[in-house]
Amino acid sequence: MIRDQCVSAVGARWLRILAILAVATIALGLRLRAVDLLPVDYDEDDYLRAGQQYADAIRAGDWAALTELNYREEHPPLAKLAYGLALLALPPVDEIPDRPTTAGPAGSLPEPHLLVARLIAAVAGTLEVLALGLVSPLAGLLLGIHTFTIKYTSQVMLEALPALTSTVAVLAYARSKRRWNGWLILSAAALGLTAASKYLYGIAGVAILVHWLWETLPEQRRPTALARWLAPVLLWGLLALAVFAIANPFLWPAPIERLRASILFHGEYTQSETVQQANLPLWQPLVWLFQSVPWHPGVFVVALDALIALLAVLGLKPLWQRDRLYVLWLAVGLGFLFLWPTKWPQYILVLTVPLALAAATGLQARIWDPFCRWFGHIRAHRLRRPELRDLLRPATRGAILRVVPWLLPGAVVLTLITFYPLIYQGGMALTDFNAVSIKDGVNGGIWREVREGLSGQTEPVEIDIFSFGRSSAKEVRYAGFGPLLQFFTGVGAGLLVFEILWTVLSVGLQTALGVGVAWLLHQRGVRFRGWWRTIYILPWAIPEFVGALVWMQIFDPRYGWFFLGTSFPDTPGYPLAQQLSSWQQDPTAGLIVLLMAGTWLGFPLIMLAASAGLKMIPHDVYDAAAIDGAGGWQQFRAITWPLLLPLLAPALIIRGIFAFNQFYLFYVLNPPWPLITLASLSFYVFGETGKYAVSAVINLFTVVLLVLFLLWFNRLSRAGEGVTYA
Amino acid sequence: MRRPGPYRQIATQVLLALVALFVLLPIWGMLRLAFDAALKGAPLTFRFWPETFSLVAFQRAWDTPSQSLSFLGLLRNSLVIAGGAALISVALGASMAYAFARFRFPGRRAGLLGLLLGVLLPQVAIMTPLYILLTMLGIRASRLGLMVVYTAFAMPFCIWNMRASFQAVPNELEEAAFLEGATPLVAFWRITLRLALPSIAVAALMAFLVGYTEFAIGWLFVESGDNVTLAMAVSGMMGVSVPWSNLSALAVLMSLPVVFVFLLLQRYLMRGLLVGQIDE
Repeated sequence: MIRDQCVSAVGARWLRILAILAVATIALGLRLRAVDLLPVDYDEDDYLRAGQQYADAIRAGDWAALTELNYREEHPPLAKLAYGLALLALPPVDEIPDRPTTAGPAGSLPEPHLLVARLIAAVAGTLEVLALGLVSPLAGLLLGIHTFTIKYTSQVMLEALPALTSTVAVLAYARSKRRWNGWLILSAAALGLTAASKYLYGIAGVAILVHWLWETLPEQRRPTALARWLAPVLLWGLLALAVFAIANPFLWPAPIERLRASILFHGEYTQSETVQQANLPLWQPLVWLFQSVPWHPGVFVVALDALIALLAVLGLKPLWQRDRLYVLWLAVGLGFLFLWPTKWPQYILVLTVPLALAAATGLQARIWDPFCRWFGHIRAHRLRRPELRDLLRPATRGAILRVVPWLLPGAVVLTLITFYPLIYQGGMALTDFNAVSIKDGVNGGIWREVREGLSGQTEPVEIDIFSFGRSSAKEVRYAGFGPLLQFFTGVGAGLLVFEILWTVLSVGLQTALGVGVAWLLHQRGVRFRGWWRTIYILPWAIPEFVGALVWMQIFDPRYGWFFLGTSFPDTPGYPLAQQLSSWQQDPTAGLIVLLMAGTWLGFPLIMLAASAGLKMIPHDVYDAAAIDGAGGWQQFRAITWPLLLPLLAPALIIRGIFAFNQFYLFYVLNPPWPLITLASLSFYVFGETGKYAVSAVINLFTVVLLVLFLLWFNRLSRAGEGVTYA
Repeated sequence: MRRPGPYRQIATQVLLALVALFVLLPIWGMLRLAFDAALKGAPLTFRFWPETFSLVAFQRAWDTPSQSLSFLGLLRNSLVIAGGAALISVALGASMAYAFARFRFPGRRAGLLGLLLGVLLPQVAIMTPLYILLTMLGIRASRLGLMVVYTAFAMPFCIWNMRASFQAVPNELEEAAFLEGATPLVAFWRITLRLALPSIAVAALMAFLVGYTEFAIGWLFVESGDNVTLAMAVSGMMGVSVPWSNLSALAVLMSLPVVFVFLLLQRYLMRGLLVGQIDE
């Protein structure tokens, strides 16, 4: 808010209006470009056809037909009706043929009908950005450049209109402060319109409900208080429902039946072959969020979706503290998308608005503000950097001379067998070194090529790191930074999302079980403590790959004893076995199997660390808490966990790095793509395809991630220096 | 905290037993295969107990675990290679660990971060260059070559752990020795090293385990059957048409000594878990 003081209030206001206009202009420009350039996509023919039917009916004055027409009737009619109104002004053409939903994109669609319909979508999309921009221009900008949002609001899809109205519903609700004013009515109406366009976007309404009920939760549980609590929410919901019914003429003749049919369709669709064959993992929405639209090169001017998602992660906490409505929206949306089996990319549009808000908050709170503070700090006290002269002062020189002999043996060996190979790896990543050119590489070909390439004597050759073929040249050739760039930009968000997801989930489960067991063992007077602990240590003592083998003998799809034991419908566990039996093809089931084995392997270490940590927490803290009347869980939340966490940190970091680099588990269990860690991928590329340079590129990427982690960890442990515990 | 009543005790015991089941059932799955003599290939029906209990599989795993070596031959390779790697790591890394634990010098923090990077590296990240370097030296497929590879994997980790062991020895003892006129070398050798010896042994054990359990990279480097380690032999039986009982028996034989040592050293191993902060 310091900035606001600098600029006069009037000036700030005009600046804000200008910023909002600029954001809307940018959003409109990007959408018009997409309208112009995007090829015809799946389903566009369907909704254009639906629009045509409405236009024809209206033109013929057949108003009754509106209650009977709803092509693709699994979706409510409002967005399709909007396309119909837009087509009214155009000369009618032959109706687009009826094709099954599963059909590919249409070959050609009538112009300018397609263009006009797309323009309507683009306008709605721009208005969505504008609505968000009114609340936060920066968030508006981020939504405006979000490529998935651009794509699906610039095509004849059902997304643009409900995206707009759901945004209006939430923003108007926030503005109303839950008082019965025009804003609250507007939010109910907008929500009704949203549901009349596409049910999925009703998630915004769920978020509003959760927020409303949470914020006004009465302290007393008396019936009158509860009634007073629920009544306004109910009234608001009924209002939204009424608008939904009015805006949905197709429902009028047979409301219950048609509503049921359209909702049931989606349930059945999730079991359809199209969805099953796509075989997308549970967490696929995250993969969509962490990448830009991969299909239309050249259409989108900037592709920063992954960055926006990253910023949003950073902004979650500050946004929660400021206004949890939007975080709830994000959480409800993400939760639904995780659980819903259909995972089409356009679905993420239900949460790109809160995503953009979180990203804007993240940018401001985590990057811009710290930067300003740091900059102000530098300006205030000139940073004193250690100078070279200081290093050569006698005292320092003495310290160095004294320590060198101690460091020497280790440093020489480490440099030779660890750090030099790492640098060599960097050199390899700049070439096309592979199994064919191994002889040349061994004889110094790599450094020759790197030297000549970097000094500009040889032109880099083009290689495609994602193809399976490898060059047949017997000599190593310089490939430049192309492969690195290719990997950094095209690594496939799927791989990275899995890597992070795997690390977080597996360490999380290990911690939950490990700390839980340690907590149980720590209770006063527990019998057989030593015996239990000895049993729990076993998975830690067993070599990792033998542990993985143990789990393979359980979950081998054909001979694993879990599946042998549950092969008949009357055996207990049969339904679970049915779900899991395809784990070597189905990524979600694969993750569950991996997590089970990973938890088994990893929890003992956390348990030991937690046991040791629990012993260091003095008992009188608990006694004090018990006097205050804190129950077991409250004690754990308020005392044990905060005191334990710093003691647990080393073990958590060890397990985290271990999970990040996990190899043998993946080697033995062999789960389906994209369930693979970078380390395993690099190993396969080396061993199976013999493309050593590509393996080096992957390793270099891993090293960059690890260095980033290290810098973060360095800051963390420095921050922890001043803290003392109990 | 109050002493739990009988119900609470029972509830706790039941929960603990459930976790124990989760831990033990998978292990039992492997043991029962290892003890089953009737098994010709993969198990075709579910059984909780071996069909015919026998030690035949262990006998086979002992006599002919791989094509060219007996169990003892494999074990010898494992001990030589992994033990050599652990020994090199400790012997050449100890003084560096001591320097990081005791001295203040410019670049210390950067050095620590570099060391930590070495700890964090996945093994595969330095595999290819080592492959090339060792090929150039002509020792890639030998036991010495494999020893060097495993040293490279284990040494940063080993130094990191030893540094923590040295730090745990109180500084005052050394200062007393200095007052008596001891040089740093003498103080290190006579006092700190002796006192830190148990935790150094644990660090060495961890370094040993890196080589003892590695197989994937070993298979890429080794060419002759004579240089195969125990872990490599076990992994070589995976996924091929070897009876599952043979594979299980060999895996059990390989794991037994490690499990035994771990259970024996529980207390010492636990101590190592609470260190690892980059700076005190």
